[in-house]
Amino acid sequence: MSEKKMARSFYEASARERALGLVDPGTFTEFLGPRDRMVSPHLPVLGEAVEFDDGIVTGIGKLGKRPVFVISQEGRFNGGSVGEVSGAKMVGTFRAALAAYKELKQRHTEDFDEVRPVIAVSFETGGVRLHEANAGLLAHAEVMDQIQDAKGKVPVVALIGSKVGCFGGMGFVAAAMDVVIMSIRGRLGLTGPEAIEQEMGKEEFDAADKSLVYRTTGGEHKYILGDCNVLVEDSLDAFREALAVAAALPYEELASWNRIGSPEKVREQIELVKLAAELNPADSRDVWRYFGNERADEYQDMTTEEFLAAAKRREGAVGR
Amino acid sequence: MALTELAFTFQGQLGNTIADDWSHTGVVGSGDLEVLMEKKEQEGHFTVRAVTPVRGYDEVWEKVLAKFAAESGIGDVSMEINDNNGTPFVVSLRLRQAWKKAKGGAER
Repeated sequence: MSEKKMARSFYEASARERALGLVDPGTFTEFLGPRDRMVSPHLPVLGEAVEFDDGIVTGIGKLGKRPVFVISQEGRFNGGSVGEVSGAKMVGTFRAALAAYKELKQRHTEDFDEVRPVIAVSFETGGVRLHEANAGLLAHAEVMDQIQDAKGKVPVVALIGSKVGCFGGMGFVAAAMDVVIMSIRGRLGLTGPEAIEQEMGKEEFDAADKSLVYRTTGGEHKYILGDCNVLVEDSLDAFREALAVAAALPYEELASWNRIGSPEKVREQIELVKLAAELNPADSRDVWRYFGNERADEYQDMTTEEFLAAAKRREGAVGR
Repeated sequence: MALTELAFTFQGQLGNTIADDWSHTGVVGSGDLEVLMEKKEQEGHFTVRAVTPVRGYDEVWEKVLAKFAAESGIGDVSMEINDNNGTPFVVSLRLRQAWKKAKGGAER
């Protein structure tokens, strides 16, 4: 470490550290923080430990003039799983953002673009909390609903770069958002590596093989395919800067970053599925090579900077 | 199945309390705990409510907390703990970390 302070890792940060680090210093106000003691009503019945914030930090901060509605999941509490309370906190934050949009739109007729709110979700989760399954599932559906309500109004940005990654139902939720920002250490998927191994066997997918897990679900693969729009260094600063850029994009451009949401986008996804069937790749590296990455074998040893300079993305992958 | 709730009161130093109205430290990870402290004028008493899935360790909790109370002299504080199978060593470590943070006040 030189005189320059070492950048704080996004991967190592707790949910609250991430929530605070994604907005300008001193601007964060938490909704339903630990002191409100809004714990899960279901976990004590099962003799399971509770947390005062139910494993999620929600609140509002600012980036410049722009209000940022932050949702940040804590992977160390029950794997960042979404239950009744944590799900309701997510939904409530979306609602607050949409209410703010309505009011600011009326008050700022001249400079609305500068104050247009943004919703930032820092994922660290395996999806539904199985202890409160129905409530957790309902929360997923409600968040999906909110994302649709926010379309064309408030940009919704997914930030993925924490230990647990973003899996299960929340993988769907992240994919439905306007922008996905990841680091190389971030992982995004539906069925987690352990669950695949358990169901299909070690020959199909060895969850202990970290290199395999990362090149199948990690930031590099998602960036090449276009499931991730922006790939950044593993630091709170890098994620915040990328969030600020995405938050300021004109809405039309943002819409083109989406993975779903129009018949064209759906056709594109179907073509991808077709391609996967034709290629029948044995490894992600086969897919990377198909998209023109001759140095695919070297990618996992590269820094983010080296990878970004070398990587070729699928045609149709959008982002910066 | 239900969670165990423990309550303790220790006599601490009058006014040897935290900087802000409240302070929070930690995450209820596996083998870990969170500590919420609130400033409360209660004649120097230090009160603790701990919630844990573990049963039968009431005396260990009391010893760990008594040691922390004696070493820190903490008073006029109401503390609440959510624990998920933290060992006595982890509990003492978190108590000291929480106290240090709370004494110094928020960085915000």
